[in-house]
Amino acid sequence: MTDAPAAIEIRDLRKIYGDKAAVDGLTLSVPQGCFYGFLGPNGAGKTTTIKMLMGLAPATSGSIELLGLPMPESALEIKRQIGLVPDESLLFDHLTGGEFIEFVGRIYGLDRMTATARAVELLELFELGEAPRKLIAEYSKGMRKRVAMAAALIHRPRLFLMDEPFEGVDAVGARLMKEILLEQVRHGATIFLTSHVLEVVERLCDRVGIIHEGKLVAEGTMQSLRGSAATLEEAFVRAVGIDRAAETLDWL
Amino acid sequence: MEQARAILWAQWRTFANFYPGRGIAWTTVVSLIWYGMWTAVAVAFGRVFSDPGDLYAIRAGLPGGLLLMFFYWQVVPLLLAATGAALDLRKLRAYPIPASQLFFIEVMLRVTAGIEMVLVLIGVTVGAMFNPQLAKWSLLALVLYVLFNLVVAVGLRDLLGRLLARKRIRELVFFLFVLAAALPQLIMARRGMFIPQVRLLVAGDAWRGSPWTAASSLIQGKDVNLSIAVLVAWTVAAGIFSEWQFARTLRFDLEAAAAGSSGGSVLGGLMEYFYRMPSVVLPHPVGTLIEKEFRCLLRSPRFRLVFLMGFTFGLLIWLPMAFGYPGPTRTFFNQNYLTVVSMYSLLLMSEICFWNSFGFDRSAAQFYFLAPIPFSRVLVSKNLTALFFILLEISIVTGVCWLLRLPLDARRLSEAYGVVGVISLLLLSAGNTLSVKQARGVNPGNSFRTGAAGHVQAMLFAIYPVAFTPVALAYLARYAFDAQAAFYGVLALDAVAGLVLYRIALDSAVQSALRLREPMIAALSAGDGPIAD
Repeated sequence: MTDAPAAIEIRDLRKIYGDKAAVDGLTLSVPQGCFYGFLGPNGAGKTTTIKMLMGLAPATSGSIELLGLPMPESALEIKRQIGLVPDESLLFDHLTGGEFIEFVGRIYGLDRMTATARAVELLELFELGEAPRKLIAEYSKGMRKRVAMAAALIHRPRLFLMDEPFEGVDAVGARLMKEILLEQVRHGATIFLTSHVLEVVERLCDRVGIIHEGKLVAEGTMQSLRGSAATLEEAFVRAVGIDRAAETLDWL
Repeated sequence: MEQARAILWAQWRTFANFYPGRGIAWTTVVSLIWYGMWTAVAVAFGRVFSDPGDLYAIRAGLPGGLLLMFFYWQVVPLLLAATGAALDLRKLRAYPIPASQLFFIEVMLRVTAGIEMVLVLIGVTVGAMFNPQLAKWSLLALVLYVLFNLVVAVGLRDLLGRLLARKRIRELVFFLFVLAAALPQLIMARRGMFIPQVRLLVAGDAWRGSPWTAASSLIQGKDVNLSIAVLVAWTVAAGIFSEWQFARTLRFDLEAAAAGSSGGSVLGGLMEYFYRMPSVVLPHPVGTLIEKEFRCLLRSPRFRLVFLMGFTFGLLIWLPMAFGYPGPTRTFFNQNYLTVVSMYSLLLMSEICFWNSFGFDRSAAQFYFLAPIPFSRVLVSKNLTALFFILLEISIVTGVCWLLRLPLDARRLSEAYGVVGVISLLLLSAGNTLSVKQARGVNPGNSFRTGAAGHVQAMLFAIYPVAFTPVALAYLARYAFDAQAAFYGVLALDAVAGLVLYRIALDSAVQSALRLREPMIAALSAGDGPIAD
């Protein structure tokens, strides 16, 4: 799998906010057909990286290529070929789930009938069809993630960029989403996701990158990354160098 | 085109989902009243322009009228801190939509910031088409002038929006904008000094290179080729500028612009003292809650913008009207300028402080229902915060007036503080109920968004006259008895009635909040559609 041409090629990427580097010289390659997990502690630079990949934030320096096309020069062509599960603030709260999925389908160039038909099917697939008139504003966090993922699938993209797709999703929903994502990878799609849930990453991903304070501190296949560690959690803690024992406070 | 249709369809669904049943009816009523008024103005203009006998007056006044329309379209929405509907680029940037298509939709949406002027221009054009001496070119002149205004509005809005998002320069930019916006007012007030320049801009024989003179000439069928060339040139230049600004906004990184140095500063230290002051002087939990309000409000660009507008625009707009014109030395404005400016500031701040006081709290408002504090204390804390900032605003206005050596005496001071105090009490009484029953989340980072729904605006149409009536009675008493004591007597009675009303309304708002907590939190948590209004 690693011999396949890269779906994502990042070279020396930097993003500076004020006097702080959120991403600091990140170099990374994700082969096509790979299920890639991008991990890091809070504030490590995961979301900033994925925002730059999605074209939502310009890089301060460095280069990004997605599916062989440079970002942001070919942003439009790239965006047509990728599926996004962005930060949930990018959802339109006063649309129903079905309306939102249809809207995204039409934005990706599907005709109205096709977009409507696929929206209905995706709502059923993601078990959101029971309350078709419910607004996204009334959805639970897990339902919001599911509707975002359903919308990301509507135009059958080759590359998925997902920011915390399993956050707040219940066990049944998570299992459903995992199966759908694995099916996409089996069909040749590439998935790049950030997650705090290490068990999910451990189970799904073939490759993992760990970012800490804007720098890539570990990268490789799941097996190589774990090395002598028993679990990914152990490898993760070792990689970011935070092996702090639980502390207690006098008054607690 | 399919993408443009999809965006407009999604916005229509957002609108329909957001205003079910009664809400849409209220919005329609408010729109009918407001735009009905402007339609009447348009009809009046139509009649004037259709009369061949009025040609001399039309020739003399048209360039100036078109210039005023330009200012109204470009500046008034910003004066009111509202710019009509606009694409929410933060949400649409993630999708494969060509920038040119987004720009086209954005230009069309600028109509919403100047519907009043479109109506008036339609009135002018229809009238002119019935006038044999104006009929030939007026339609083309209207189309070109509207297009020019739409395109300029996109560029200005984008430029100003980006500058106001930059952490260190937004206040400076705002002050420059205030000065620019107040320029026509100052020119009007000191017109004797600027007569040659004003003539050059708007008189019948004005410079032919400006878009308003060119449009005016084209309507009259004068210098047709030159006028068309000038209007097209201005429109193309505005298009290039606006497309450039729009592209920059599309690439704009809000977080990077808002990021500053992480180090502390002297000002930061002083502000920390200021924030902590309520907790020192007021009992818990009111002090703690007000401290939180101070921190949140002063960190919100929208609040800061409205607060700055209160005393800057207020002074720059009203003072020239009060003291700048030649004529009688005792006018209503110059006798009551402090009260007038204070009332203007109060009205500007009312959207944040009175009508939607939970707007910035958004989903965090649920904390108020979870914390071991009575909900009445939450409302009282928000009300005290509002009063503090309103009094601070009036004090700044007073200070500036003192520096400008304008006439200030005990009567003017007591009148301004008394009137604002009484009206604030009445508005807070209504505002607490509206804040609970019609809560709506507002993005504190957005300098322009107003956030008031149509039916809330309809209620405000009724509330403002009622709230101003007791104060009007005080002025009436002073006029009837020709005695300042009569004014203070009625105002004191108003204050007592206001306190009683506030107490009753507070209890009612608390009961409503406890009953409606779920829809209230849901409404505060909700986001927007692809087009923000």
